[in-house]
Amino acid sequence: MLRTETYTMNFGPQHPATHGVFQVVLTLDGEKIVKAEPVCGYLHRGIEKLAESRTYQQVIPYTDRMDYLASMLQNWGYVMAVEKLMGLEVPERAEYLRVISGELSRLASHVLATGVYALDVGGFTGFLLCFRERERMMDLLEELTGSRMTFSYARFGGVADDAPEGWLEKLDKLMDDMPGYIDEYDGLITGNEIFQARTKQVGGLSPETAIDYSLSGPVLRGSGINYDLRKAKPYSIYDRFDFEVPVGKNGDCFDRYFCRVREMRQSVRIIKQAIEQIKEIDGPIKGKVPKALKPPKGDAYAEIESSKGILGFYVVSDGTNKPHRVHVRRPSFINLGYLDEMSRGWLIADLVAILGSIDIVLGEVDC
Amino acid sequence: MFGNGLIKGLRITWKEFTSKKFTVQYPEEQHTKPERFHGRFVFDADKCIACNLCANACPNNVIELKSEKVEKKKFLTKYVMNIEYCLFCGMCVEACNKDAINFSLEHDMSQYNYDAIPLILVEREAPKPEPKPEEATPEASGEKAEPKVKGKGKQKEETPAASADKSASDEVAAGKAPEKEGQ
Repeated sequence: MLRTETYTMNFGPQHPATHGVFQVVLTLDGEKIVKAEPVCGYLHRGIEKLAESRTYQQVIPYTDRMDYLASMLQNWGYVMAVEKLMGLEVPERAEYLRVISGELSRLASHVLATGVYALDVGGFTGFLLCFRERERMMDLLEELTGSRMTFSYARFGGVADDAPEGWLEKLDKLMDDMPGYIDEYDGLITGNEIFQARTKQVGGLSPETAIDYSLSGPVLRGSGINYDLRKAKPYSIYDRFDFEVPVGKNGDCFDRYFCRVREMRQSVRIIKQAIEQIKEIDGPIKGKVPKALKPPKGDAYAEIESSKGILGFYVVSDGTNKPHRVHVRRPSFINLGYLDEMSRGWLIADLVAILGSIDIVLGEVDC
Repeated sequence: MFGNGLIKGLRITWKEFTSKKFTVQYPEEQHTKPERFHGRFVFDADKCIACNLCANACPNNVIELKSEKVEKKKFLTKYVMNIEYCLFCGMCVEACNKDAINFSLEHDMSQYNYDAIPLILVEREAPKPEPKPEEATPEASGEKAEPKVKGKGKQKEETPAASADKSASDEVAAGKAPEKEGQ
């Protein structure tokens, strides 16, 4: 009687398709995945613990280092939690600058996710095209903040700096070009039959399971659930913009990918509207905030829609100038939790497609 | 028809093939850096009042600042940044009320040796009030120190970067500065 036996194989930690230092211990039956056990922690730096020995302001640069592909949003999340804790007001112009820079950061993150996903399933050209636009976005963000990836731009009660002269016009021009670029991605990646064969009907995720596992972001919306914090619980000034929340149908890899592409178009729409509206708003970019920040005893939780999903910051204050505890709800980490069940029964090559479609950043997973 | 997508994709690829190149041949050509670029730090010792705000604002304790009291005023004797721990977040620049520390556009900061990494912006001795004054190091860009400098008596430049050329000939007590500031 012929009998097959399972064996284990390491996927990562040094593997370019894991998007960082991430290991999956695979139990395989031939080429079929029986069990996929994610092992994370290779990039753990203890940011939550480090935050306890830093003052409130000094934690901001550390939040950059979590999701370093969209660090503007990470800054924003943390700053929002502390603002909630202290009841700080944010001037209107600062809110607009946060929305513009945050959406630009989201766009940069999604462009990278799209390009890298094309690379994961074997399309190198798409990867290069996406990086061409990302470069333009990085240049703009660098002009605004001085850094290319780790911005540390948000401050309590505002932002660090106003937009430099002519920056909004440059951004407007990029936003004019962007839909054309996204059409190119659609032509090159989305419409490609090989890409579709690799991603459609692969790694299905039902809407019920997605909710049960508390997944969020494009992973959740790809399964057909219309839940975007910007619409569901509008924070900041998101209620002033007209945009849609793209949702998928089947919850497969293709839907998750395509949600991101369509989200890019919505981000472009939001930025265009924000540029129009910010022109009429002149005012301070930073509210009245004491230099030595000592929030009252208590705790606060604030969440925003990051590029990967719902990003939450829980800050506990004991009345001193250092946070007693900072906890982060990292969407990448929570979305990764379903990887095992999602990849069971698929081939090794499909695991790369599945992992790529979740769009994780290891800086955020390991924190 | 199956294959339409491939043809469309190929068309886009060919269009890109003939369009303008985006690549910059790095060491020869370089991008222009924006004004706010977070590069190597420049320090103006004349403006510094040794208030320690920058050192306290730093999340990683990068800044080592020492001062001595000279005639009821604080005199900055040491300002060293352990740049290997620096996050380039700009908290120190933001904290400075006197505009003494700033970013420059210089991004090339790699070193061959570990000892050469710390950025020595100021390292000098405080002027003694009465007896024979000590010689200040080339980085002693403070004017307060200058009148009392004897011996070589070279005019010291204001900015650390400019002082690098002179300090190269100034072999005494030059410390590690020339290697760093020269490049």
